[in-house]
Amino acid sequence: MNESKQKKPKYSVYLDSAATSLVRPTEVHSAVRHALKQAASTGRSQHKWASFAQETVFSAREAAAELLGAASPEQIVFTHNATHGLNAAINAIVPRGARVLVSGYEHNSVVRPLYARGCDIMFVRARLYEPELCEFMFGDAVCKAQAVVVNHVSNVFGYRLPVEKISKMCREKNIPLIIDASQSAGSVEVSMEALGADFIAMPGHKGLLGPQGTGVLVVNEKYARDATLATRLKENLLLFGGTGSMSQSREMPDTLPDMFEPGTLNVHGIAGLAAGINYVRSVGTKNILAHELKLLRYTERRLAEIHGVETFSGGFDSDRTGVSSFTLAGHDCEDVAAQLAASGIAVRSGLHCAPVAHETVGTIDTGTVRVSFSPFSRKKDADALISEVRIIAEGK
Amino acid sequence: MKYYYIVCRSVTYAQKTVKTLETSGISAVMYRTPKAMALEGCSYCVKITEARLTEAIKLLSSKSLQPLRVFARFDDGSFYEETVTAG
Repeated sequence: MNESKQKKPKYSVYLDSAATSLVRPTEVHSAVRHALKQAASTGRSQHKWASFAQETVFSAREAAAELLGAASPEQIVFTHNATHGLNAAINAIVPRGARVLVSGYEHNSVVRPLYARGCDIMFVRARLYEPELCEFMFGDAVCKAQAVVVNHVSNVFGYRLPVEKISKMCREKNIPLIIDASQSAGSVEVSMEALGADFIAMPGHKGLLGPQGTGVLVVNEKYARDATLATRLKENLLLFGGTGSMSQSREMPDTLPDMFEPGTLNVHGIAGLAAGINYVRSVGTKNILAHELKLLRYTERRLAEIHGVETFSGGFDSDRTGVSSFTLAGHDCEDVAAQLAASGIAVRSGLHCAPVAHETVGTIDTGTVRVSFSPFSRKKDADALISEVRIIAEGK
Repeated sequence: MKYYYIVCRSVTYAQKTVKTLETSGISAVMYRTPKAMALEGCSYCVKITEARLTEAIKLLSSKSLQPLRVFARFDDGSFYEETVTAG
């Protein structure tokens, strides 16, 4: 069809924030634009544009440390995304071939790096809505593991794992722990101080409302304080190169965050990320989550009224975040998403890069349609979705 | 006049050093470490006055911000490495 003759979509509704937050605070746009004009490389020079870059990055570290319960700004490593951070963390502390305990809801950003390292991956396949069972199953298996890597919140179903309890178990058994906070950062409290993980990785472009190409890896304070531990990390880095520091050494510095940040930082993106983080800090994760949960409960309840729709709702608000999946009997999830897209409603469909989660829940053959909210989502967005799903279900 | 240049392990440490010192009322300015003092290669340093050195080192040590090196530098550009201890 000639594009000019295509029907104008009825809506402009974005419900795919679990992939990327499209709607961002205006401050994020302003910060990126300003940095594009003013920021040179950080940590390399002393002219005013380099100084601006340095100040921008340092302030971003401080803001991130404040939000993420890190005692010090050097514990904040800027990465390209959560996958980068997870790979860096796994490379640093998970030995090749190690026996690693993960949840049954992991993303490929965890499963693939572990598989590539020849790890013996043990999945804890607890069902949805059963955090206590999940906790019990982790407790049973954790002693057999050399490392634990878990997501905080499932990117498919939006359920929280009991990471506080898992973290406590790991600390008691002295087992390294990496947390993937991709779907929690920005809407659920993520605190290194409270969780005590070795690493917590997250993207900048989802709940933290920053631009794509940004991410944060929070490193446990012990690696900043203990030179022996820092040296051990340095032996298993993912990337090597110039850091602007200790440049006469052929080896990477054993200093945080430099050892994890070779090459020119994405200062423009980090400027935007800092603005996003500051927005989250000003609104508060509790308020953001409350807003998203209100929309989630409403959407799930109304969708469940449509014949053929199966939602994966249940549990308590304390188990949930603003991410939800559904299937529509007799309809391929990709077709549903395509029809919604044609009506101007953005959702995600398929396996969401998390086949493990679908194996656990039993949706590996169908996939799901995923709806995800942001602090800027509105009730009328949910209404538009519900209305269009009803039309698809009724075959109109 | 003599100043002290506290050479830091990284730009982040230099920034933290400046902030820590300034919070305690010690005037501090961050620079790229002069090449002749950058024995480990490129780095950043923090310049303070002679009068505040002892206090600064003690403060930094208490915050786990041990300097990589400390140099004394004169107006004519001459310098020497200073051995400092937090005690």
